[in-house]
Amino acid sequence: MLYKRFLCTQTAVRHRHSNQWPVKQVEKSNFSEALAEIKAYIANSDFVAVSLQKTGGHSAPWQKILPIDTAETAYIKAKHAAMRFQILQFSVCPFSVKASKLIAHPYNFHLFPRDELKIGMPSYSFSCQSSYLTSMAREGFDFNACIYNGISYLSRAQESAAKFQIGHLSPSSSTVGSLSAHSVADSLFSERIKSRVKSWINARKVSNKTEDALISTLRRLVSGSEVYGSRPSLTIDVCSERQVQLALEALKEFIDIVPLQVPVKGGGVQGVRVVLTSSEEDKNLLEKEIQDKEQEQRKVVRGFREVIDLISASQKPVVAHNSLNDFAFIHSKFLAPLPLTMDEFRSTLLSVFPHILDVNHLMKEIGAFEKMSNMPAAISYLDKRSFAPINMEISNRETDKVNIHGHNVLKVCQLFVKLCSKLKISLEVLEGDYNQLSPSLQCHSNTFNPCSTNSRESDADDVRIWTGNTRTVSIENLVFLWGFKSGISARNLKDLLCDSHDVFSEEFDVRMIDRTCAIVVLWTPGFSERFLRIMDSGDILSGKLKNMISEGLKASGYETYRRVCELGLWKPDLGESLDQAMDETEILLEAKSPQEQSVIYWNNDEMINLDDL
Amino acid sequence: MKRNYLVRVLTRARTRTQTSPFARSLCSSTSPPSGADVALKNVTKTNFEPALAELRRHIREADFVSIDLEMTGVTSAPWRESFEFDRLDIQYLKIKDSAEKFAVVQFGVCPFRWDSHSHSFVAHPHNFYIFPRQELPGDGSSNEFLCQTSSLEFLAKYQFDFNACIYEGISYLSRSQEDEALRRLDSVYKDEFSESFSYLRNGTQLVRMADILFAERMKNIVSVWRAGLLRESRGAEFQGCLNDMNQKFQSTFFQMRPALVVNGSSSRQLRLIKMVTEKHFKDLTYVHVTGETSSPQPLIVYTDSTTDRDLLVREVKACQRVEAEKKIKAAIGFRHVIDLLSSERKLIVGHNCFLDLAHVYSKFVGPLPLTAEEFVSSLQTYFPHIIDTKVLLNLDDVLFSIMRKGSTSLSKAFSLLCPPIAPYGTSNGLADKPRVKVEVEVDDQRFSNWNSGSKHEAGYDAFMTGCVFSQACLHLGIDFNSHAPLLNLLHNEKLQKYINYLYLSWVNGDLIDLRTGKSATESLGSTSVKRRKFVFSNMILLWGLLPNLKARDIRDCFCKVFGTSSITSIYHLDDTSAFVQFSKPELVSDFLELKDKLKRDNDPISVLHPLSKILEGGRVRAGSYEMYKEICSSSLSEMLFADQAEAVGINWKAIEVEKQEGNNFGKECDINAFSVCQDEKKTTPGSGMDDSESSCGFPTDELLDSLYSSEAQACFSCIGRIATNSIDATGKM
Repeated sequence: MLYKRFLCTQTAVRHRHSNQWPVKQVEKSNFSEALAEIKAYIANSDFVAVSLQKTGGHSAPWQKILPIDTAETAYIKAKHAAMRFQILQFSVCPFSVKASKLIAHPYNFHLFPRDELKIGMPSYSFSCQSSYLTSMAREGFDFNACIYNGISYLSRAQESAAKFQIGHLSPSSSTVGSLSAHSVADSLFSERIKSRVKSWINARKVSNKTEDALISTLRRLVSGSEVYGSRPSLTIDVCSERQVQLALEALKEFIDIVPLQVPVKGGGVQGVRVVLTSSEEDKNLLEKEIQDKEQEQRKVVRGFREVIDLISASQKPVVAHNSLNDFAFIHSKFLAPLPLTMDEFRSTLLSVFPHILDVNHLMKEIGAFEKMSNMPAAISYLDKRSFAPINMEISNRETDKVNIHGHNVLKVCQLFVKLCSKLKISLEVLEGDYNQLSPSLQCHSNTFNPCSTNSRESDADDVRIWTGNTRTVSIENLVFLWGFKSGISARNLKDLLCDSHDVFSEEFDVRMIDRTCAIVVLWTPGFSERFLRIMDSGDILSGKLKNMISEGLKASGYETYRRVCELGLWKPDLGESLDQAMDETEILLEAKSPQEQSVIYWNNDEMINLDDL
Repeated sequence: MKRNYLVRVLTRARTRTQTSPFARSLCSSTSPPSGADVALKNVTKTNFEPALAELRRHIREADFVSIDLEMTGVTSAPWRESFEFDRLDIQYLKIKDSAEKFAVVQFGVCPFRWDSHSHSFVAHPHNFYIFPRQELPGDGSSNEFLCQTSSLEFLAKYQFDFNACIYEGISYLSRSQEDEALRRLDSVYKDEFSESFSYLRNGTQLVRMADILFAERMKNIVSVWRAGLLRESRGAEFQGCLNDMNQKFQSTFFQMRPALVVNGSSSRQLRLIKMVTEKHFKDLTYVHVTGETSSPQPLIVYTDSTTDRDLLVREVKACQRVEAEKKIKAAIGFRHVIDLLSSERKLIVGHNCFLDLAHVYSKFVGPLPLTAEEFVSSLQTYFPHIIDTKVLLNLDDVLFSIMRKGSTSLSKAFSLLCPPIAPYGTSNGLADKPRVKVEVEVDDQRFSNWNSGSKHEAGYDAFMTGCVFSQACLHLGIDFNSHAPLLNLLHNEKLQKYINYLYLSWVNGDLIDLRTGKSATESLGSTSVKRRKFVFSNMILLWGLLPNLKARDIRDCFCKVFGTSSITSIYHLDDTSAFVQFSKPELVSDFLELKDKLKRDNDPISVLHPLSKILEGGRVRAGSYEMYKEICSSSLSEMLFADQAEAVGINWKAIEVEKQEGNNFGKECDINAFSVCQDEKKTTPGSGMDDSESSCGFPTDELLDSLYSSEAQACFSCIGRIATNSIDATGKM
């Protein structure tokens, strides 16, 4: 056993040499201290970069966010992933740029959704993809550290749900409103409590004298006396919220006692516990003790979410590499379950993080589309083109517990600073100007869709050439094609289609989405509808297309794809999902959602092409 | 020795309370040197090959092999736990769901051989770390598995090494995955001809200037080389000239033919080279091969005729295929161990191992069949002899009394039955009874007092299971020595009646006969606690209830509508769903009709109807027991049963259909192929009612009350309970 543990620490050590940057690793044991540190850093920095290590991304090639996705379908895909997979490492790096120097304070928090409070939260189970775990292993991630000592958390929604289940003693709120109109029963109840507490206090005084152990035990049993810490206490049962108020009011006349409410698991109050203190001083001491305990409890409940709350409270701009995916995770793990639509998601998220900056989006701004999904590639791309080197200063006074795996967050910082200098955006923030993002950055913030342009720029049906290979195409011009021989290449499919029908006589493109499904762009307006009509009616002149249809070829417009995402038909093959969606659409034909945004990017290099696989 | 042992017990007891991994180092340093400091035989991908060869020998010689598995979880949702009211087919569906969703991370295999010289068993405990790493590229499937948070915590508590598993775990391929991969290979090599021709036809347009220049240059280089070849005498001279020109190109021979190696080109350039070769040189062929010893090499090969050229293409293809097949064979990995166990047809010993076997089947054979019958009959073809120590301990009267009718968990049984081996065995009345000696052999070293495993480590659990089994055999009166030289446990009459019986679910004590796939609970008769009887056709399932609705409230409502004796029992499935068992089958359809009517009318009268208290919230749905089965068989796993039902897509429409089926009870009886049929007969109107009550042993009301209190608690602690339950399950109940 022991040997194994030695071995596993070594696996982490083995990778140590490759890292030159010290990143502080945070686990359960050093979380409190790290929290205090990072609180100060966040307050003193201008930006906060975040980066997540997850247990998985997408279960099938087509379930990844693709260039053909609109904002809405991209959100649904991100939501699907965020709900199933888990964050194992959350890197936070508060940073500033001062005199063209990047000052960064990177922290890697190891997370594990441990059920600390035994209430079945934060997560009953989660999915893992072996390829993700394997690649994390390749980078030297220490899974033992994560699962043994990872920090747990509860989302805001879970915390409020858990309040009922935790059932912790809470001090009675000092503002006991005076109750209107005492009935006879009420005064009887109050009097009974007063006399019971009085006789209990008296009994305590008597029992202070030396007494036989047996007798004192018996006395304690009779009077229902208990011990709270080192102090004697008494529990008064109540059966309604009103009785709680009455009891608290009745107890006001006893100066030496501190009343506590005993909650029931599932909500409500079960009783009032009366703790006897020996003096005014002692009473203050007890009250402080209880307060500290509460604080401690809160820390245990929130766990890592404290960091999220800190970032949110600071209102600092947050920089991420893949904002839609990452913030879908952040929303679902630390805020609340993900809402149904992108708009709701955006509005709740922005109420928590007002400024979100996406490095991917900035990459697009400089026209580097083909490099945007891969960070090392993006950095080297910029290194080749940008002349201003960036000095990085990393604060980490401690030498132990640093230097292991996880530099992504620093890369995000670096990339962000480089991109901004390329785009001539100044990152130096003037004193006392924290809440205001510079206008040049402001216009790049809060764009979530990684593939389509933001709404300010989009113009429906406007097909135009962007930089590189990318041009926008209206989703009206897209046709999904499936039911052909699995494993065929886009080129072969295009050949097959080429002379099969008139609609393919004009310019068209074919891309494979996965082994079973291709997308066809008919650049001539109206041709896609024509093609779909032909496929529907079976009114085909050419024998070749007819043959393909008899062999199972199917086609549909973008609407079916949208249905696939909305219905959550996450089959391994898109063809199968589209088939099922077609069946379901026949039933729900009239329920058609309005098309809000109908332009996506057509990006040749981002498509999955089986030739390259 | 005895004193040593005592010290050990103390150190163990102390260290067990600590959780730090270093506690174990204390333990091993203070305990006697009798093999305790030798680690368990841990097998990862680095030492898999030699360990497999060694294991092959041990298994061949073994009298039986015990196994144990550690998984990443047990239940994918709280309502997927095993309940008393789960019929056999439901139990199987739940096990199937678990085996399909979770991964196996550790596999313990421990062959036991009777050594007639030392009169002891020799055990070879192996602890395999396995991980579903994807070794073969691009079949589109992502190796995805579920982790239950509480199970990972449980493994962490026993210091499971997750790094060893993920970094070094042995991967595997099931039989059906292997077949699928070979099939894919077939289609790839069948298609290549057509693919390459169509490529030739279309791939000839060069657009980029760089491509055109590169292609032109390649054409020149290749034609120079070819010309050199044809003027054979001056070949050597040419080679020198080429080498001067570019280090990239070297002349060589491929299968007795002259060839040109084109190293150091990008994949795009290679594509261009291929194109140029095919377009301009009839007697040259571009091939990309992996040699016997060398790494993959792109080559341009000279062939002197078209027949030779075809031959070459075929040769290359065959060669590539062999390579690809080799890769697939290499990916089989840990399945070799399973194949070994299967082909040797040894007696397999497990402890409460139905779920383990379901995992073995789904990971190493193929997708699990839809029904328990199909599963066990297929399982028997791979493992014809399986014995379960939990079954043995509970069904045999002698053993059951030795266990003092208490818990039959693995560690309990081990410490009771095998105290000299067990590190913390309790002194008991068994001292005078004869004991089986077990020696452990790790890496050819033998220890008589070995215990360096720890509980819930698959290898050590397998070892414990084997020890418990051998001791149980002795108590059954099996004399190992008289059977020498060959122990024939398989045909031992004392064991025979327990072979191939497993608990499908321990919670309701349902036994399954692996040979028939039928319930064996009645025929074998469990000695353990009496189980409650259920009449599944009298049950309805309600979901979407308000979470604060108690079982008692539900009963009150039903009693107001259908009479005080209408309800037999109520069980909560989770916070918002519950089963109601009626006393008469007609009441099922009566209720469904009434509910439908209330929903339809929605007038003041229906609002005041007593049932509306249950239907509060407007999301309440109802269905028969068969619908429960349908919902369980879905591959989805929502946390709440109500959400699951909605996701599966069963709504009011489906219930219409269900109602008609519900009236046809004769038919349903056939579906409930197990012990249910018997209950069915008992509850025919008239005297039947009393029968079913007396079978429970106490009056209905009493039963109800006792249920309510426990059910109500279950309701509160539902979520808290999940964690402990699943821990029990992983930890072998």
